[in-house]
Amino acid sequence: MKRSFQILLAMLMIAAVVLAACGKSGGEKQAAGGGQQGGEKCVITFGAAVSLTGKYAKEGEYVKNGYNLYVEQINKQGGIKVGNKTCEVALKIYDDESNADRSAQLVEKLITEDHVQFLLGPYGSGNTYATTAIAEKYQVPMVEANGAATKIFKRGFKYSFAVLTPAPYYLRGIIDMALDADPNIKTVAIVAENGAFALEVAQGAKDYAEEKGLQVVYFDKYTKNTKDVSSLITAIKAKKPDILLGAGHLQDTLLIVKQAKDLNVSPKVFGFSVGPTAPEFRKALGKDADYIVGGAQWTPELKIQSDDVFGTPQKFAELYEAKYGEVPPYQAAESAAALIAYQKAIEAAGSLDKDKVRDALASLDYMSFYGRLKFNEQGMNVYKPMAVMQNYPDGKLYTVWPKEAATKPFIYPFKPWDQR
Amino acid sequence: MGSLELTQGVVNAILLSGTLALVAIGFSIVWGILNIINIAHGAFIMLGAYVTYWLFTLFGIDPFLSIPLSMITLFIVGYVIQRYLINLVIRAPLLVTFLLTFALEIVIINLATFFWKGDLRSVTPAYSGAGFTIGAVQIPYVRLGAFAISLLLTGLLHVFLTYTKTGNAIRATGMDIDAARLQGVKIAQSYALTFALGSALAGAAGSLISISFPIDPTMGGAYTLRAFLICVLGGLGSIPGVMLGALLYAFIEVFSGIYAPGLKDAIALFVLVFVLIVRPTGIAGKAFYH
Repeated sequence: MKRSFQILLAMLMIAAVVLAACGKSGGEKQAAGGGQQGGEKCVITFGAAVSLTGKYAKEGEYVKNGYNLYVEQINKQGGIKVGNKTCEVALKIYDDESNADRSAQLVEKLITEDHVQFLLGPYGSGNTYATTAIAEKYQVPMVEANGAATKIFKRGFKYSFAVLTPAPYYLRGIIDMALDADPNIKTVAIVAENGAFALEVAQGAKDYAEEKGLQVVYFDKYTKNTKDVSSLITAIKAKKPDILLGAGHLQDTLLIVKQAKDLNVSPKVFGFSVGPTAPEFRKALGKDADYIVGGAQWTPELKIQSDDVFGTPQKFAELYEAKYGEVPPYQAAESAAALIAYQKAIEAAGSLDKDKVRDALASLDYMSFYGRLKFNEQGMNVYKPMAVMQNYPDGKLYTVWPKEAATKPFIYPFKPWDQR
Repeated sequence: MGSLELTQGVVNAILLSGTLALVAIGFSIVWGILNIINIAHGAFIMLGAYVTYWLFTLFGIDPFLSIPLSMITLFIVGYVIQRYLINLVIRAPLLVTFLLTFALEIVIINLATFFWKGDLRSVTPAYSGAGFTIGAVQIPYVRLGAFAISLLLTGLLHVFLTYTKTGNAIRATGMDIDAARLQGVKIAQSYALTFALGSALAGAAGSLISISFPIDPTMGGAYTLRAFLICVLGGLGSIPGVMLGALLYAFIEVFSGIYAPGLKDAIALFVLVFVLIVRPTGIAGKAFYH
């Protein structure tokens, strides 16, 4: 009796292992159509490995939402025009578990087993760095929207394009804005996640701050996947910087804000590269999100008129909110923009031939709802400026920089934690 | 070196050492008495953290009040796992139990990822972030509370092992299994109870961690590693040894975090290697659990 119970338990354990293994390797399949099909009906399948679990799960969700929203809209119009045919658009997405090696494996699978025609990017520079190498190896174009490190594009690749502004520009807007609000600002502290994107953001911010005559009093990095930065914050507290800038991703940003509050560290300007503009930031921090600023690739308040499926940033925001119930973060907008870049290139090429589409991408110059889409020789979009957004005490996010696009003035200084 | 960094660092390290002692002590008694290096210890910590998280998120139960519940839950989980799974191979060589707990860890983490997703979550009661200052040193209430509870639980464990009959039976099992059996100690019972106690302490540690730090299904690995380091530093065999190891490790972690944050993990492991070369039994090392 007892023995049989033990055997049952052992079998249950084995079943659990198998279940877990299936859950992992199965990933999330999201094919709107079924890859390439014969006959007259034509379908263009785009493939991507995106982080749906793990450290970048939240950002990855925004990316997936952006891709899906575009696909839904374009298919409402019948699809993308290829010569005199109109092709429906399908998407195949796998979960890379926020792991660069896994992302590269999955992209290889998308090319060799699923035979997708074109590739979209994953979330984050590390994963993009890994996957663009696979795209290059198989000579399949990849238009990515969420890898901002310039290092991705310094390898002479021909098939990789990024729609977003490169990493070194992320925090420049915040520095300009701070100096505009108070010319007496003297010191900056910069902390960065030890990863390709964040290090470039931090270095770009450091160079720019020094160029503007500011003194960088603290500059250091923390390990990826850290769960405790209180030591760093303690070191920064002793330096009493006017501006505290964080280069990293959403989860690090949440951690830094929480622990800065724990240790009562209140700089005059508190800003981050990624995080403050995501709806999750406000959800996770509540009132503690107030006054914090973040660099933004795009904001729903920009004044742009385009002839793409969305037309204006406001229309994109409206459609996004109706579908996902929150204000679109820029990650969603840039992801949709990657598909718009493809659409325009495919229309210009009049073909689905990978090399023809690649050439069309290289010579693309198009004004989308997201901003100008144009790539330099390396494949980076250096033609689009960045904005700054601030979490207002009324619970909303407003564009506060550049001044001509601002919907509200920048509130300066940051209200100290112990005076709230 | 600024004096603020130094004093705040010392306070941070002392507060952290309490939680770390609790993390390591469950690991240490299981290792000392069952001779099992429980790789799944961190996974139990993660489960404890999620018990607190869900009770807080779904029912609004204060995270400190949920500690007994997470301990009871993990006590039962630990008891069942030891009695009906690990006990099957308890006489096998160390490597077999090692592999078994390794597999258990993978299973638990994957089930957690499957059901709860890989998102990082945090427990944020109204008082999180609040604290008081002494001079320029900031002391968050949450960490102070975690420190106090860790000391309390560690003290209770010491009292239990030293002054109760069951506790004595557990220690006897660790010292000499044959002699203990001759004295009428039910070995299987003793083992299951020890493992359950170790798991319950892991659950309490998980609850405390979830209040100060964000949690996700893979969080445990880092704590298993820390528990291992602390046991080696402090020496396997005594509660004061573990506490000393935790204090030492907390200082290494906090100060390498202040002066060389990128090298935090490397420095901690380097100290481990150094201690193993200079004093292989650990700082307060003894052979058995006293």
